[in-house]
Amino acid sequence: MRTVIAMASTGNHETVATNRIPVAVRPAAIARMASITATTVAAFAVPAAAHVSEQALVLLLPTDVYISAGIAAVVLTVLVLAFLPGRISAGLFRTVQLPGVPVPPILSGATSLLALALLASLLAAGIAGTRDPLGNPLPLFIWTVWWMGFVVLQGAFGNLWTWVNPFTGLGCLLASIGDQRPRLRLPERLGSWPGVGVLLAFGAFYLAYPAPDDPDRLAWTVIAYLVVTFAGMVLFGSDVWLTRCESFTMLLRLYARLAPVRLGRDQSRAGFPGWGIAASEPVPPSLAVFALVMLGVGSFDGLNETFWWLSQIGVNPLEFPGRSAIIAETVTGIIVANVALVTVFGACVWAGLRLAQRYGQAGETGFVEAFGRLALSIIPIAFAYHIAHFLTAFLINGQYALVAASDPFGTGADLFGFAHMHVTAGFFNTLGSVRVIWLTQAGAVVIGHIIAILLAHAIAMDMFGSRKAAAISQIPLATFMILYTLLGLWLLASPRGA
Amino acid sequence: MLDNRSRTGHLPGTMTRRRAIGTLAAVGSLPLAARFAQAQSSEPIRIGFQVHRTGIGAAYGRWYDRTTEAAARRINDAGGINGRPVEIIAEDDGTDPKRGAEVVEKFATQHNCDIAFGTLFSHVVIGSAPRAGELKIPYFVVSEGHHVASGILNRYTLQPGITDVKSQVEAMGPYVAENLGKKVTMIFPDFAFGHDHRDYFSASIERQGGTVVEKIAIPPTETAFTKYFPRIPQDTEVVYHVMVGPAVLTFVKELGEFFGPSSPEIFGFIDSLEAVDITSPGLEFLEGSYFWEGYPRYAQADQTEYDKAYRAAVGVDDNGAALSDSKDVSTYAHMFGCWETLNIVKAGMEASGYAGPDDRAALIEAVEAMTDLPHSLDHPQGAKVFNGRTHQVFGHQYISRVNEGRLDVVHTTSIEDTLYEDETDYTAQAF
Repeated sequence: MRTVIAMASTGNHETVATNRIPVAVRPAAIARMASITATTVAAFAVPAAAHVSEQALVLLLPTDVYISAGIAAVVLTVLVLAFLPGRISAGLFRTVQLPGVPVPPILSGATSLLALALLASLLAAGIAGTRDPLGNPLPLFIWTVWWMGFVVLQGAFGNLWTWVNPFTGLGCLLASIGDQRPRLRLPERLGSWPGVGVLLAFGAFYLAYPAPDDPDRLAWTVIAYLVVTFAGMVLFGSDVWLTRCESFTMLLRLYARLAPVRLGRDQSRAGFPGWGIAASEPVPPSLAVFALVMLGVGSFDGLNETFWWLSQIGVNPLEFPGRSAIIAETVTGIIVANVALVTVFGACVWAGLRLAQRYGQAGETGFVEAFGRLALSIIPIAFAYHIAHFLTAFLINGQYALVAASDPFGTGADLFGFAHMHVTAGFFNTLGSVRVIWLTQAGAVVIGHIIAILLAHAIAMDMFGSRKAAAISQIPLATFMILYTLLGLWLLASPRGA
Repeated sequence: MLDNRSRTGHLPGTMTRRRAIGTLAAVGSLPLAARFAQAQSSEPIRIGFQVHRTGIGAAYGRWYDRTTEAAARRINDAGGINGRPVEIIAEDDGTDPKRGAEVVEKFATQHNCDIAFGTLFSHVVIGSAPRAGELKIPYFVVSEGHHVASGILNRYTLQPGITDVKSQVEAMGPYVAENLGKKVTMIFPDFAFGHDHRDYFSASIERQGGTVVEKIAIPPTETAFTKYFPRIPQDTEVVYHVMVGPAVLTFVKELGEFFGPSSPEIFGFIDSLEAVDITSPGLEFLEGSYFWEGYPRYAQADQTEYDKAYRAAVGVDDNGAALSDSKDVSTYAHMFGCWETLNIVKAGMEASGYAGPDDRAALIEAVEAMTDLPHSLDHPQGAKVFNGRTHQVFGHQYISRVNEGRLDVVHTTSIEDTLYEDETDYTAQAF
């Protein structure tokens, strides 16, 4: 989360100056001020990246060696799969049955209401509490605890969101008032496209909006989203809204498919991480695109900080002008990145199908089916990007979250003993600890890609039924994933200026 | 943007955690009424702290925040300002000039702050200062930029707690010429920041009879530097570098590898190493190089009682790291500016009998009237001279050498070495 753009910084500072001048000020004064501001920004800029961050130490690491090793591991996975007997690779995602966990359905409704109550108190803190985004519990909870942290728990342990989402409890209560049938019908042809739109809008808020951390603005944004969500659930039905429009439930349910264990009321199952994706039916194209956008937004959040991107949009990476200056460029970047990703991924699936049919005697599997199944194979990559990208921020902001949790309303309380904890960034300041952090991030990226390749292969085996057809069909997609590994590791290793 | 004017009526009793830290925690077990009893009004002095909480300045913001809180605690422990407690009201500017202007506006119109304070990054100062001038709220910046003294801002913007880059750089010439060498090659990033160093230092070394034998401008996006080093002339005695950004350690490392043991003297600015633990294995190449320091990170053999007390108040050990984590190195060379600025604010408010926003002009006049600021716990970095016409403070600069993994001061400049001709007179501007 950070930033990106094409205007020269001077141009933007003109905007700054003129925007803030009362309307009564004469145009000439505005012009003079704007021109002063513009020229002086150029003349007295302190370098944006004046402070040495862990990035400086990362650049001292032999990351080219690490990257080569990571790529080699992914390539090796592809080669092994190509020559491994089909039954072995297909068997990787087999599951074992475990006893069910009979929990009354009403319980999740109750915990959801509790989650809503917690969120309400956080929103109150967001509006009335400190303006400091690293002191106010709302931004710390939303961005650090939930977005950075909870998403990872969801991928590791399954659909915890069922229990802690703030929607379903009240949604069920609202829907049960009066006529329980949905008032309106969401047209089938819309598929999950509304969810795609919401996810992109979320990406824009997170990456392009100047102040997503501001407690007050975040509070009102969340409140607006809650109102729209509850209205949608009442009008169109909870299930329809949550599975096709409410992008966070959609995203978290997709990540939950990565978990090794899935608990059920009648029976539970366990298997290799990602078995829930290997066993999945094809999803509609809109949900497949949604999965790709999860990766696209996550990848752009990283790319947008690199020297490379900043150069593309005409920003001196040592003199970053602030998010306000590059809103249009960031939004454009999010859209272009996602369109490019979906297009390239679709082309790989299409080319794989053609190759399998031509050289592997594959049957007539349709593109839509193949796309709808294989798109889910990138979920482990998106998940890995999430872990790798947010690890460093989580290590710092997680500490602030503990402090805020101990004294959520600034009353001097110390509920958990962290209220006076010193938030340290010491692990960013030595080569040894930076190496450990970097290798953890890189390890996540490599493992994510390996699981993705295993999944794509298993899905192809299932679609085509023959090892040869599956292996041939995977040539374009495996190449894509190898290159994406390179991209992910390059993002971790490359200098950043935003 | 969403409106939050509904909060303008904050009462002291409903202040946030940060405010509580700045005030209540400071007064210990004494009741507020007892500690601030002598004040005609116990209404707090509200100091809007424009802090880089997010964005590229966040790492600096963390330590600016700690220093500010420590300074506010000390002021409150001593009875506040004019008998009134100080409240620090922090707003994040995202290290973004546009938001910076919004934050200044919020201080003036929503939070009822008496002053705005604390900005580091120059582009945020330059984006915010016009708004401070329009709203007539004193804006005390801690940014090192030459923008204040250059005359491009306004009468409401002052920098009394930290010296500016121009004086820092120009003060390096005498020591470099006398002790390290007269033939200097400068290596700098090819944009305004690097150009400032190039121009200020060239003039300074030439006044000492030295010459800049080569000026090597490095494109800002560059991350590999060895290819530029063959341009360093053979007879170079000193390499002066001001590289910044994530590739800075790579630069110093490659420079060390290029020269090996027969290196010319290498001189840089501590910004390259600010908050980096130089004892970290893998950074041995820094040994023997010289750095400008705004304030010596390592407690020196002749450490003053002021430095000792300042470190203790902020929570920094003798190596410039957090007391609770020896690897959490502070931004020691810069953050003292927050401490010293708040003490200037206190002195200015006391001298002017500041009672509320109506006295803002009087506060500025009181600060403008300041001249000598003696070395004390109010000014632990060293004695200073404030120039009321240019709104800029001048003070001693330190040159340190990396010696067995610590920075030892080898020279302290005089204040005279840092002075230059006035470029403006803000006192001629009407309020």
